[in-house]
Amino acid sequence: MELGLAWLAAGIGVGISVLGAGTGIGRLGAAALEAASRQPETAAETRTLMLIAAALIEGIALIACIVCILLAVKSA
Amino acid sequence: MSAGQSGSGNVFTHLLEELGDHHGFYIGPHKVLDLPVILWDEGRLHLYPSTKAMEAAGLYRMVEGKIVRSSTGAPPALDLSITNLVAYQWLGMLLLGIVLWRSVRRYRRNPLAPPRGLQNAIEAIALFVRDSIVRPNISNERLGNRLLPYFLTLFFFILVLNLLGLLPGGHTATGNLAVTGVLAAIAFLVINGGALVTIGPKAWLRHLLGGGPLWLSPILVPIEIIGMFAKAFALCVRLFANMVAGHTALLSLVGLIFFFGTVLIAPISVAFSVFVYFLETLVAFLQAYIFTILTAVFLGLASEHHEH
Repeated sequence: MELGLAWLAAGIGVGISVLGAGTGIGRLGAAALEAASRQPETAAETRTLMLIAAALIEGIALIACIVCILLAVKSA
Repeated sequence: MSAGQSGSGNVFTHLLEELGDHHGFYIGPHKVLDLPVILWDEGRLHLYPSTKAMEAAGLYRMVEGKIVRSSTGAPPALDLSITNLVAYQWLGMLLLGIVLWRSVRRYRRNPLAPPRGLQNAIEAIALFVRDSIVRPNISNERLGNRLLPYFLTLFFFILVLNLLGLLPGGHTATGNLAVTGVLAAIAFLVINGGALVTIGPKAWLRHLLGGGPLWLSPILVPIEIIGMFAKAFALCVRLFANMVAGHTALLSLVGLIFFFGTVLIAPISVAFSVFVYFLETLVAFLQAYIFTILTAVFLGLASEHHEH
């Protein structure tokens, strides 16, 4: 029973964290595209900033995934 | 559970074990070389040329790929063996050493000659690291110039390890938490050491306040201290998870063929695998870039004088 709950929690948790990360990266990509098309001369700089922000969002999502993996491989 | 776990002996977990560390130098599934086993246990050092020699000596044996003491079944206190991933790191260092040394020698001999062959690529990457990673993010020019060798080493090392893992038969050393953990620990030392040297201990301590008033310090100081470690932890997990995630996706796609036990699924699997493989090549460059630029950004933030 407890193990089943841990798996359930891992599945739901990874879904929610991916939802958050997807929303974040989607909004970030939209904003970066808009900025780059409004001011094409700063596109390179925008891309760098976008990658850094994307990496930070990704980092949070990955830490959430690790928590979920720890729940999923819980053996006791 | 599903048919995969009972019937076909779960091909996925078997494939995933290939991603881990081994006590031999492997190219793909083929063992090329036995690697030495070095154990520190009960106050003395045990040296064996291979796991076979270790089992023959009788003190230790292998159980499910792990070394345990024969008498008690407990793992040794410290396993310092030269493992597969260590060998791949050395291979990466050797490759980098040869390639970079040749370029550097050409510049030394003939500084004005146009670059040739691989030297072009090295020069382009080195200039990229200097001009779009280090200089824009570290405002203190002297600090940036002094740490440029570190950033170049970091970028080239992560890149070559990522790419070695993508070679058919290769193993990804950056897909191991111990490797990325050490890289992140070094980054942590560089970020805080660089900040301490540049702005002095007083300003570094003031950074712990996060720019808030003194009465908020009971809340802000712990947050800033956690943030310091969280940055390094995130660096470590990001690189590790990105490398493992790509390989897991590839292995799962290939595993589908064995899971269903039919060739009909193969065209789909192969097509998707090729796509994921190209994606992974992009990720190999991207993660080397991200690790380096985030270290530079954090160092830049920590080594600035703010007007609080």
